[in-house]
Amino acid sequence: MTATTVTAPATTARGSAAGRLPLRYVLLETRRQLRNVKAMVFTFAIPIVMLLVFGAAYGGQTDPGTHLPFLVVTTLQMTAYGAMMAALSQAFALVNERSLGWNRQLRMTPLSGWAFLVSKLVSAMAFAAVSITLTFAVAILGMHASLGAGHWFAAGLGIWAGVVPFALIAILIGQFAKPAYAQPMFMVVFMGLSILGGLWVPLSVMPAWMGSVAHLLPSYWLNRIGQTGAGATGSAGMTEPTLVLLGWTVALAAVIVWRYQRDAARR
Amino acid sequence: MNETPVIQLSGLRKRFGAVTAVDGVDLTIRPGEVVALLGPNGAGKTTTVDLLLGLATPTDGEARLFGTDPRTAVVDGRVGAMLQGGALLPDVTVRDAVALVAAAHRHPMPVAEALRRARCTDIATRRVSKLSGGQLQRARFAVAVVSDPDLLVLDEPTAAMDVEARHVFWSSMRDFTDAGRTVVIATHYLDEADTFADRIVIIRDGRVVADGTPAAIKATAATRTVRFAGVAADRYDALRGLPGVVGMAVDARGRRGATRDDRGRACEPGHDAVSLRTDRSDDTLRALLTAFPEAHDLQVVASTMDDAFLAITADPATTTDPATTTNTTTSTTETEGVLA
Repeated sequence: MTATTVTAPATTARGSAAGRLPLRYVLLETRRQLRNVKAMVFTFAIPIVMLLVFGAAYGGQTDPGTHLPFLVVTTLQMTAYGAMMAALSQAFALVNERSLGWNRQLRMTPLSGWAFLVSKLVSAMAFAAVSITLTFAVAILGMHASLGAGHWFAAGLGIWAGVVPFALIAILIGQFAKPAYAQPMFMVVFMGLSILGGLWVPLSVMPAWMGSVAHLLPSYWLNRIGQTGAGATGSAGMTEPTLVLLGWTVALAAVIVWRYQRDAARR
Repeated sequence: MNETPVIQLSGLRKRFGAVTAVDGVDLTIRPGEVVALLGPNGAGKTTTVDLLLGLATPTDGEARLFGTDPRTAVVDGRVGAMLQGGALLPDVTVRDAVALVAAAHRHPMPVAEALRRARCTDIATRRVSKLSGGQLQRARFAVAVVSDPDLLVLDEPTAAMDVEARHVFWSSMRDFTDAGRTVVIATHYLDEADTFADRIVIIRDGRVVADGTPAAIKATAATRTVRFAGVAADRYDALRGLPGVVGMAVDARGRRGATRDDRGRACEPGHDAVSLRTDRSDDTLRALLTAFPEAHDLQVVASTMDDAFLAITADPATTTDPATTTNTTTSTTETEGVLA
């Protein structure tokens, strides 16, 4: 008897959730966040500033690893970094919403854990798209980085798709962190991912052990996906980066949905 | 008729570590009832609300809404709630906040309709962060009704509202209940519970300690209070022996200064304003006037909801009326001793 009453609600909720995704909600939520774009100015500006500094420093040399111009390598590096930052910054939006009690209010709607996850993911991806476009625009129009249009497109799309696990990391920080810890937690995660993943400084100039660590991190593969899209030589194709990033995505998504079901209970 | 209760709580229990916040609540609420959930802070009201909405999982027992589990009722849009600690996003307008929640529901009413019902039309384009306390509560009310629910659960809805805002709020609530819908209000405001609810459930220490109409709840406390002045302090013991008296208190204002009563008129030292709580006011009054002809400024007042609430929720160990009264009179005597 008790077993029946306990399992029944979960099944009902999940069953109905799988049936529908409130598209209108997802759209309104994304529009709401994009309207608040002034909060994101620094997130968008930092990779561009870094691109202007490092891109100019290396001039027109060619990167020996990828046989791409250094400026292109730097652009991809900074784009990956910027897209990652844009997606990760969802963490703050979430922590804020949680401390306000907004997700308690949402629990009074049919919105399922799955739909909630999708709405946050879409917002993060929208911000990443803005960041990628801006950084590419500065590199192409402002710095005359030269690469075929098809390669730019493939690299941009690759990085954009590769941002998914970072959006999920942001959601996870947003769900777990208390407001006071969100900032340091965010810093540790994004600095760790940036440096160890070789987004700030190429891994070739770092100690060897960091190279092995990098291979476990989604940020490394995010950069690789960009380089592969840009037609770098010596890359083993899209299969490996895709599999690693997909693995991160599935694992993170599972934890987030599990967490959302419990988060609404205030204590 | 075999109608399904809107809310059915059976043996509901919630423990947080060593603390039992809700300790075996049984409660059935039927369609159309307007129920006030009253209780002092920490009595378990908010936890009970969380449990009945499915926001928390009971340690023991069960909460059912409309004959199903709470989450199903919520998904069906049959439940609206103004939660404690459930705020709106500050950077959006009231209309956008309501529209966002409406978009999450399956069969919402038009956003404009929800705004109208919550008296929010005039503040629809204002940002949530710019709202006054009362306006914010109205906006939250609009969010709660946008699914066109059959049951509305309000946790401290009029907190942070001034008198005018409260008036507007209750008038919009009345539109809602006039349509025959069920409302549960957790509140501190006894007068609101008294005038608005047709049933009051009092919770203390996680248990239901009283359940009835406002009139019935008031009747469980002593029914009347007899107030007067002019009786000397050394005869207070005799007052306590009058027929029907169940408690006595001495008005602090009458004591201050000792030569003025509580209306500022000159009086004999020690002749303070006395309140006798009685369950037979007629008998008490007759006996009082016979035995204490010096008593003047007589008033007989019906017990308020406050009296009832205090009597029901007070901890039995510390509130037996005679004990309180003795303390009061003793301190009065001491003060006068010093003055003399």
